[in-house]
Amino acid sequence: MTKVKVKNPFIDALAKIAEKQDIDSFKKIFDYFSPRLKSFLMKSGAEEAIAEEIIQETMTIIWTKADYYDPKVASPSTWIYTIARNKKIDILRKSRKAILEDIDTAVLPPVESKADENIEHDQKFEMIAKYLDDLPSDQLNLLKMNFFEEKSHGEIAEITNIPLGTVKSRIRLALEKIRGKLEQDGSMANLNLNSDNDSMLN
Amino acid sequence: MTFELLTNPADTPASLLFQQCLVEIVPENKLTNMAKNEVSGYFLDKIDTIPVSSDLWMKVLNITQKKVRPLPKISSDPFINQLPMTLQSHLRNKKIKWKSFKDVKIASILPKDNDEKLELIHVMPGAKIPQHTHEGNESFLVLHGSYSDEYGEYKQGTVQVRSEDHNHTPVGHSRTGCIGLAYTHGKIKFSGKFGKLLNLLAN
Repeated sequence: MTKVKVKNPFIDALAKIAEKQDIDSFKKIFDYFSPRLKSFLMKSGAEEAIAEEIIQETMTIIWTKADYYDPKVASPSTWIYTIARNKKIDILRKSRKAILEDIDTAVLPPVESKADENIEHDQKFEMIAKYLDDLPSDQLNLLKMNFFEEKSHGEIAEITNIPLGTVKSRIRLALEKIRGKLEQDGSMANLNLNSDNDSMLN
Repeated sequence: MTFELLTNPADTPASLLFQQCLVEIVPENKLTNMAKNEVSGYFLDKIDTIPVSSDLWMKVLNITQKKVRPLPKISSDPFINQLPMTLQSHLRNKKIKWKSFKDVKIASILPKDNDEKLELIHVMPGAKIPQHTHEGNESFLVLHGSYSDEYGEYKQGTVQVRSEDHNHTPVGHSRTGCIGLAYTHGKIKFSGKFGKLLNLLAN
């Protein structure tokens, strides 16, 4: 059986940081994620200096807690986003004083993984990215506003002129589809791979 | 209701901790949370970039020179050990300051911020909380044991959102009692016999 290997380079980079404090890998992560995090943080209202402070804090956590990263639970972008988002919530308040202590490692509570070890661990995340790539832009936009721009369902309904109930049901439906991809256990994934291969052979 | 609590963004430390506990304590919420986070990760990959200051890498590199203080994995406090990991991490180096009201103990676990509160409520087995309404909205998540009121029984992992006009008299389970996490916008208002006194104590 031919297996399509889609390996996210940042999974290796995080593993190397965890195993041997590899500075080159750390630099790769810094170079790719810092300008993206800065963009995300400044769009959510952080001034430039604060945005860079949050990036610094985020990088510190990546460096010191890389061994907590579990490629079965999240893609690297998701893990790093979540750390930065939590730091942002903590620091971007009136007091500008961090009050949350070390919840960063618990940001993604482990899920009992049913996935077959033979399945590339980031494959399910690639499948999710593919699903999102294929979503009609108006639906994708609802997800973006809700989970990336962090708007409430009410705010989204107001901005888009879509009734609140519809906003909720569309988001719920898309999330359920994504959940389905996360849930696929080893045997299911194997079946899917087989059928993919079969169709390719036919 | 859980769907709303999970998917409407948390934007303060209190709402973040509450949402995180809601994810941790109910297994089926974990996948919804993973799904939601993957959407965010996807957009982080797609976002346009803004260059960072040229000295930021050197600042970050300095971090690597620092020794990291190892964190104790388990707290010595058996009460803390039965809480979700999120709260264990958050409370590890803190002392929980309980306020006791007979068989009910309440502890604020975050400094006050914009009239928002996050509290642990420990109701002893069989203990009754005087009848009260809520000022603002209160989301109450059962972390351990269960409680019941005039309207039903609420087990571990259930969450109730109560508005200002909701009036009830909760009782802790006769054997297990109840530990819950209450996220409130505004203050709690007691309305029963000892209401006045309890209002003073609680505020």
